[in-house]
Amino acid sequence: MTRVEIDGVERAYGAVKVLKGIHLDIEPGEFVVLLGPSGCGKSTLLASIAGLDPVQGGEIRFDGRDVARDEPSDREIGMVFQSYALYPTMTVRKNMSFALRVAGMAKPEIDERVNWAAGVLQIEPLLERKPAALSGGQRQRVAIGRALVRKAKVFLFDEPLSNLDAKLRGEMRAEIKALHEKLQTTFIYVTHDQIEAMTLATRIAVMSGGEIQQFGTPDEIYRFPQTRFVADFIGAPSMNFVDAVLRVEGGRASLEMGQVRVELDDYAFAAPPRDGQPVIFGTRPERITLQGDPSPGAIPARVTGVEPMGADTLVWLDTDGHRWSARVSPEEANALGREVHARPDPQGISLFEPESERRL
Amino acid sequence: MKDQNAIAMAAIYAFLAIAAAFFAIPLIIMLLTSFKTAEEVREGSIFFLPESWSLAAWGKAWGEACIGRVCEGIGGNFWNSVLITVLATSISLLLASLNGFALAQWRLRMSGPILGMLLIGAFIPYQIMIYPLVRLFATGGMHQTLGAIVTVHVLFGLPILTLIFRNFYIGLPEELIKAARVDGAGFFQIYGMIIVPMSVNVFLVAAILSITGVWNDYLLGLIFAGPNFQPMTVSLQNLVGTQMGLPEYNVNMAATILTALPPLAVYLLSGKYFVRGVTAGAVKG
Repeated sequence: MTRVEIDGVERAYGAVKVLKGIHLDIEPGEFVVLLGPSGCGKSTLLASIAGLDPVQGGEIRFDGRDVARDEPSDREIGMVFQSYALYPTMTVRKNMSFALRVAGMAKPEIDERVNWAAGVLQIEPLLERKPAALSGGQRQRVAIGRALVRKAKVFLFDEPLSNLDAKLRGEMRAEIKALHEKLQTTFIYVTHDQIEAMTLATRIAVMSGGEIQQFGTPDEIYRFPQTRFVADFIGAPSMNFVDAVLRVEGGRASLEMGQVRVELDDYAFAAPPRDGQPVIFGTRPERITLQGDPSPGAIPARVTGVEPMGADTLVWLDTDGHRWSARVSPEEANALGREVHARPDPQGISLFEPESERRL
Repeated sequence: MKDQNAIAMAAIYAFLAIAAAFFAIPLIIMLLTSFKTAEEVREGSIFFLPESWSLAAWGKAWGEACIGRVCEGIGGNFWNSVLITVLATSISLLLASLNGFALAQWRLRMSGPILGMLLIGAFIPYQIMIYPLVRLFATGGMHQTLGAIVTVHVLFGLPILTLIFRNFYIGLPEELIKAARVDGAGFFQIYGMIIVPMSVNVFLVAAILSITGVWNDYLLGLIFAGPNFQPMTVSLQNLVGTQMGLPEYNVNMAATILTALPPLAVYLLSGKYFVRGVTAGAVKG
């Protein structure tokens, strides 16, 4: 169990700043997922934690010890790569024992550790095979085993499931989660897949443009996105947005969108709202109910498409030029005409400041 | 249709057979002549089989043929060539693979310019460097020694061999090296335990290229090897080119085949890799 503190880490390739002073405080035993679109700096950050990519500023502390300038091997980390990166000429056993052999460990202890790791990952029958004779899932297991035998303080995963097919990905995801619960070691995991992030993480760090947009539990990230980027990036389809104006009358806040008024009695404002303040209103597809007749607080919309997904149905809407989506039950979807009214759930509203795009 | 195909195939095979014969005839005549006696050769019937197969010319070429006043054949020089080839090839393979690995996978600041210089090195005709090298070795007191000839072969072999290794190593996944670094391996451990076992094929290709190049060399051997380590090619030229009295064609032929045998054997034993080695040299040199 190791606390990982990332304190102002900077990395630039020439004029391009890939990491702009990252701060991240990871509790011992946490499972932190670095999530973001490609090019957001998440893999660079992971490589910096591993020591494979030199940082140009800031500190990386493992249990208070600054390791930012240490060699990867001096950091007591284990790392799993997207391409598995198994040594092709070595058997599974040799692959897993490589680090221990390099460190000059005694043979009985090497065997003991390899057998233990193989038992944890259930790959004992594969120990004498070469990587070429393994399936994708088995290779991934060996790659994890290679990190396991070292009894690393911190486990790093760089998009480990991207090369697997959908079914196997689901299985391996569950296994990695079970492994974390078993080992109670600090895990740092990079992915661009939000399902992986939501299901695995104790906390997610959403990154964009070399900065951390938000660091919080999956629930916080999903329900209370702190920036418009996070709101837009998390969730499929993404959050619906529209420009609106705040009204404050007699201490009660409400939202004005053209003719429509939405009451904001339950919204937890970060700062006191001002009357006439422009805002970006956001609501998730599953927080919208569709109805045929107009009612106060419902936004008139035209149905442009219907996508049955099985468990629910996605209805695409045109609300005065904005493309929205609503997730409704198949029965509700069948009852809809062309003209509908979309009523946002007051509990599921996010408001953003148009300039800074930060949550209000 | 079927008949036409058969005729076309027959024509193709006939052409291939003629082409093969065309290239094989000199070798066949050499072989035939080497098995004849001196008298039979003088009769001039070069296309006929020997009347009595005789190994006398081979024995003479190996151990008794006279070069100037010394009558020891070219057998001794065979071992000189072996020594030079083995030393030069193993040293250049080791250095070239290390260089290639460092250039391809170890992020070196100057790897671009170094690669450019290597390319230039592979293209410059080595003849223009002979005089400076002679002066250099003479100044260092090692002109015409085993060290000199091996060094020269290594120097001239390195650019092209390094490029071959570098081009192979550039295709290895970067994550492999990263994983090994996380596992605590240093440069030479990664090289020795992971990279070398993966590159057996490239080593074979490079070895073939180097062996044939060093063995077949004449000019460098003539200039740098000196009398004690004179390679087989040089002594062959001395044998064939300076003869007292009547030329002994059967002995010359036998000596030539003896000299050409090692590269020929390498070629026959490793045809697939040999072709790769030749094309690697052709495309990248």
